Amino acid sequence: MSTEIKLSGGLHAEIMHDLTRTHPFAAERVGFVFGRMGSHGRLILLNRFHSIPDDQYVDDPAVGARIGEEALTWAMQAVYQCRPTREGIFHIHLHGHKGEPQMSRVDSHEIPRLLPGFQSMDRDAAHGIIILSLDHGSGWVWLPGDKGPCQVDSINIIGVPIGVFEQEEKR
Amino acid sequence: MSTDRYSRQSFLGASAEAMISRCTIGIVGLGGGGSHIVQQLAHIGFQRFVLYDDDVVEESNLNRLIGATSADVLAETPKLHIAKMMIYGLQPAASVRGFACKWQEKPEPLRECQIVFGCVDSYKGREELEIACRRYLMHYIDIGMDVYGKERPVIGGQVILSSPGGLCMRCMGFLTDDKLAQEAALYGNAGHHPQVVWPNGVLASTAVGLAVDLVTNWTCRGRSHAYLVYDGNDATVKESITLRNIKIGTCSHFSDSDVGDPILVEL
Repeated sequence: MSTEIKLSGGLHAEIMHDLTRTHPFAAERVGFVFGRMGSHGRLILLNRFHSIPDDQYVDDPAVGARIGEEALTWAMQAVYQCRPTREGIFHIHLHGHKGEPQMSRVDSHEIPRLLPGFQSMDRDAAHGIIILSLDHGSGWVWLPGDKGPCQVDSINIIGVPIGVFEQEEKR
Repeated sequence: MSTDRYSRQSFLGASAEAMISRCTIGIVGLGGGGSHIVQQLAHIGFQRFVLYDDDVVEESNLNRLIGATSADVLAETPKLHIAKMMIYGLQPAASVRGFACKWQEKPEPLRECQIVFGCVDSYKGREELEIACRRYLMHYIDIGMDVYGKERPVIGGQVILSSPGGLCMRCMGFLTDDKLAQEAALYGNAGHHPQVVWPNGVLASTAVGLAVDLVTNWTCRGRSHAYLVYDGNDATVKESITLRNIKIGTCSHFSDSDVGDPILVEL
């Protein structure tokens, strides 16, 4: 059974607009996007985006962007407050190239460390990581009860034009 | 994968063939309208289908059901089988998931689609499909026709596009509580609607055109909704006057944040 993420064209445009803005000192931006699992559990429907305020970034030239304690606390609280509706949280950022994005060395070292915290706030929701590129996207999902991630088979943008971003080895 | 096969539709864009082949299309109802849509999508190059129809071919279908023959009446061939044969005949490598039941009995595969065509008879059926499409983030394209009057019959029909974040069929004035109530009052006594092949062909072709534009955006219009009205007596398809005159920009019936199955929250 494949794992898929869907979001509307409007939400995708909102995310891209936010992540492509320049930051006073960080080289890139990150954000959080929320979503719910469809009834069969491997379809995740994203429904809203949270832009991280400029002052919640930490100035760290060693990485493209680092967010501080305030942003992470906000995210943990948001996951906790979403428990009744079983909305999960996805860390999202943009790689400024075309084609299928992959986690960089820094991404794979740093971002997955956030996930156990999100899972501890709500074990019944799916949480994860999404990396967009200029014309593609990749995702990793920690499904309820799973200790590790599964790679998303496709991210579908329901806009105009429709985007079906498939993991290359699945094509 | 590009071949001469699609050379006459290269104006759709350099990546159109790949985009079309990756898109999953749901079709609910494989009768007069749905059979046209199946045929056209397969010709265009769509490869992934989720189909629903629980009916078999009857003699009264042969005036309009594309792909069906007299032999199918005798064999009581499922309409689903006719659709599959049409697709595989044009796209042997296609992925076709077909269900001989109501879509509500097996909704999960439909929810994976990017575009759903509703070829159903009732307003209630249309409303249910549109709600599913909003909650599971799918473009919904509705087609339907009817014939009004007996002494001087008038053929009418519509093609409607309803997309997540855009105007819905209630916003566009097509679905109303009055229509739903009138239909409910006729429950079990609605009879058969008149159906003929050529209006179905016009409506299906128009709907397929909208779908190809959703996938490729070849017209660069970025259209999120449409309400096109067919006049079979004048042989015209025009934008609905109702839609032209409404002054609303955003849908008040569906919230972008309400996705997935509804959930009861304890207060």
